[in-house]
Amino acid sequence: MGPPPTLPTSHSFSSPSPKTLQETKTPFEIRFALLSSLSIQNHGMRHLKGEIGVVSKADGSALFEMGNTRVIAAVYGPKEIQNKGQQMNNNEALVRCEYSMANFSTGDRTRRPKGDRRSTEISLVIRQTMEACILTKLMPRSQIDIFVQVLQADGGTRSACINAATLALADAGVPMRDIITSCSAGYLCTTPLLDLNYAEDSAGGPDVTVGILAKMDKVTLLQMDAKLPLDTFENVMQLAIEGCKAVAQYIREILLENTKQLESRRGS
Amino acid sequence: MVGMMIDGAGEEADELVTPGEFLGEATQLVAGKGAYVSGRSILASLTGRRTITPPTPGSSDNRSTIEVVGHKAHGAVPQPGSIVIARVTKVMARNASVDIMCVDSKAVKEKFSGIIRQQDVRATEIDKVDMYQSFRPGDIVRALVLSLGDARAYYLSTAKNELGVVSAQSISGGTMVPISWTEMQCPLTGQIEQRKVAKVD
Repeated sequence: MGPPPTLPTSHSFSSPSPKTLQETKTPFEIRFALLSSLSIQNHGMRHLKGEIGVVSKADGSALFEMGNTRVIAAVYGPKEIQNKGQQMNNNEALVRCEYSMANFSTGDRTRRPKGDRRSTEISLVIRQTMEACILTKLMPRSQIDIFVQVLQADGGTRSACINAATLALADAGVPMRDIITSCSAGYLCTTPLLDLNYAEDSAGGPDVTVGILAKMDKVTLLQMDAKLPLDTFENVMQLAIEGCKAVAQYIREILLENTKQLESRRGS
Repeated sequence: MVGMMIDGAGEEADELVTPGEFLGEATQLVAGKGAYVSGRSILASLTGRRTITPPTPGSSDNRSTIEVVGHKAHGAVPQPGSIVIARVTKVMARNASVDIMCVDSKAVKEKFSGIIRQQDVRATEIDKVDMYQSFRPGDIVRALVLSLGDARAYYLSTAKNELGVVSAQSISGGTMVPISWTEMQCPLTGQIEQRKVAKVD
């Protein structure tokens, strides 16, 4: 679920007035107050914004925003393996990933930005997802480092991190099978919702995160917390996949725009 | 909408592609750099411009090669058979350690470790090689990559006429001039030092 958000919730969802919150005390009642003020036209995907080349020292870098969630990714590599003991397989590149949240990314200033269980788990998830799409066999005995930092957290940080990492890897020129995009979807008040923000995520419904190889239509990441009946799950997963495809379309446009700009600057 | 025609020169104009995009059939084209084969189709693996190079005349395969040229080529990695430029860091009794700095005239982003073993310094009388009379720390050498080597370093060889020490500094600090296959002379003091010299054209 994740830490509390910094900013008010997304545009189609009005936060409850202070008077309402004071009257209701128990968690169930607070949740009910939130849900009743939800305007249940599904607002769809939040506003996307991506930028390439934000960290000049890195081989590749990107900034990605999904609504109020802002994430920055930096890729270093391929380079020689630093820690020879970690080198498992001589024929493939080693992919390392580190996920951390800035202290100021959530409402309360967090004490341990990395090293806690959630960060370790998300680092592992991102690493496995990106490893599935990088052509590691082309770069034996090298290492690719992916660093992802959450600047502002408002739900869906996992998905924003994967999208930012894809952009950064493409910027670094690391050969990949396809563009990996990720999006989350949930189910609240019998409605599938796409791209949950923190308030919708903490409302107690399930949260399905999907990562796909966009053009090849293959799923590389599928995670869910809470339980869902199977037919509902299929609807929610399908919605998330459509969201992923929309993100992929946007990411492709950014990459092409960036390449055109670089070419015109280079004068070719 | 993705991949607009930029050149406008016709249907074969080079277009911009992103990873995962379909480039052609594997039966008609050969996948070059920046492209890979998946099943029967060739897909792009980098973001960049798609280029098709016609097949080399005289080759058995008459398919064109399709490549994707990215704007940021990821740093060079030594491959067996490539010529590298390296700086000697440590000279020991049976081998010399080097830092690989350039691969095939392209600088690397981060240094790789290489090792030149006693038997790979020259082609003749390999058991009588004295490492201290072939290399000194700080020398710039041109070498050939033999193999990926062990976990610590690439294996390099200087056992050819055009391989060996390209540039070296004498004890007095001047850049030395090669005077034979095994000797270099300092222009400041006239002192002659022993190296395994490369024949530079």
